[in-house]
Amino acid sequence: MTAELATLTHDGAVATLALNRPESRNALSLDLIEALRARVRELSAAKETTVCVMTGEGKAFCAGMDLRAVIDDPEAPGQLLRAIAELTIELRALPMVTLAKVNGAAIGGGCGLVCVCDLAMTHADAKLGYPEVSMGVCPAVVAPWLVRKIGAGPARRMLLMGGVLSGREALDEGLVSGVVESRNELDAATGEVVERLRNAGPNAIRATKNWVNEMESGGLAAQVRRGAMISTEVISHPDARDALKRVFEGRSG
Amino acid sequence: MIRVEHIPAGDSSKRIALIVIDRPEKRNALTPDMVGNIESSAQLVRSGEGCADAVVLTGEGSSFCSGFDLSLCRDDERMMAALLSRLSSAIRTLRRLPAPVIIAAQGAAIAGGCALLGGADVVVTDRHAKLGYPVVRLGVSPAVTSPALLNAVSGGSLRKLLLDPGLIDGGEAHRIGLAHEVVEAPEDVRPRAIEIATALARFPAHGMHATKRWLNEIDGSDRDDVFDGALNASLAIVGGDEERSRLAALWEKKE
Repeated sequence: MTAELATLTHDGAVATLALNRPESRNALSLDLIEALRARVRELSAAKETTVCVMTGEGKAFCAGMDLRAVIDDPEAPGQLLRAIAELTIELRALPMVTLAKVNGAAIGGGCGLVCVCDLAMTHADAKLGYPEVSMGVCPAVVAPWLVRKIGAGPARRMLLMGGVLSGREALDEGLVSGVVESRNELDAATGEVVERLRNAGPNAIRATKNWVNEMESGGLAAQVRRGAMISTEVISHPDARDALKRVFEGRSG
Repeated sequence: MIRVEHIPAGDSSKRIALIVIDRPEKRNALTPDMVGNIESSAQLVRSGEGCADAVVLTGEGSSFCSGFDLSLCRDDERMMAALLSRLSSAIRTLRRLPAPVIIAAQGAAIAGGCALLGGADVVVTDRHAKLGYPVVRLGVSPAVTSPALLNAVSGGSLRKLLLDPGLIDGGEAHRIGLAHEVVEAPEDVRPRAIEIATALARFPAHGMHATKRWLNEIDGSDRDDVFDGALNASLAIVGGDEERSRLAALWEKKE
């Protein structure tokens, strides 16, 4: 059952990893995270694969951490955040190029996955961002990745100001590497990038990816794991509990 | 010459501390006391009567801040060292405040005034504002600003800004990351900064403080050794022949 939450398909040198929980906008439940981690482990041994496209089934790419499921269980947030931290570390370590095809909303932890991928393509109407601080939550796991992706100054402003960006704004901020006008054009545009990578030398890709990972590695994994602890502490605070309850009540009411 | 006002964050019980550099007749040129007062005003927002949920730092009049008041340095060699040391300290304090800091830098943010931007989480300026660190011409090193500046801009932009003694406009500052938002008219800078501060002040405080503290840890803003190294690089040439002769030449030109 669990394995179906994340699907992995191969087409020659191109792999596609899909979040398959569309009824929950691909929100990161513990089961989904563990399914993704199992697929990422498979990918780490895929010697001939040069590019892995990560995407979401249904309308959303990933709505972020499944907060609704964990809010009443004091142990659950820590477990979930630690698992997300490990997923991001393992995803980053993959030896092939990772490309997020951001088909729809990528929020919070979902946008964290976009940030960890080497490349990202999206469309103008997609919504991306880290609204955690506005909900009393701390995006500490994603912060080390975002700082490396777009620089410390822009990351500070983006995380402290909360909110979400359009696909075009995400391109301006450096969060994604390409944007098309509409959802209809996304498959073709992603396909063009994928075709360029399909015929790249697997050894050259592997050597380059390993090197860029090595250049940034100084304590990064440890920092991401510490981020999970910090984020857990904040989400367990009454401030966050109150703010989240208000968010959920507002949504259902 | 430093004034603090408290303004409500919209219709909430949260409030914003507006710290104003108020010496418009000198384009808000900084004395050591003023820099010290910026820092002590910022410290007051942490708790007690001065407590605030967000800080806006700005300058009165057409310029945010034109830098150090160099006329003080003409007569007293100790002034330059005092200015540099207090500036470094003020930047650290602003950066480490638990509340978010927004700087409204309208018109001009030059040298020490531009260095103050390093204390901000968000910088708003206007498209034609003048920004930069044109002080190597005066025999002064802007190294003191480098730790905060490197968190805002790329290594390449850092070298250009510190080593090429020119100024850039607000549009360029936005492009390279020195400013985060740019508005068209100087008079729109402060209202926009207050708007941002209002939104941020209303976020739940615990998560905001934890996130800012964590970002400071990730980017090294909590490390005094880095700030001390940069300050010492600037202090090392203070009072030397080059600085003295160039500042003297500046006065001759003015008179």
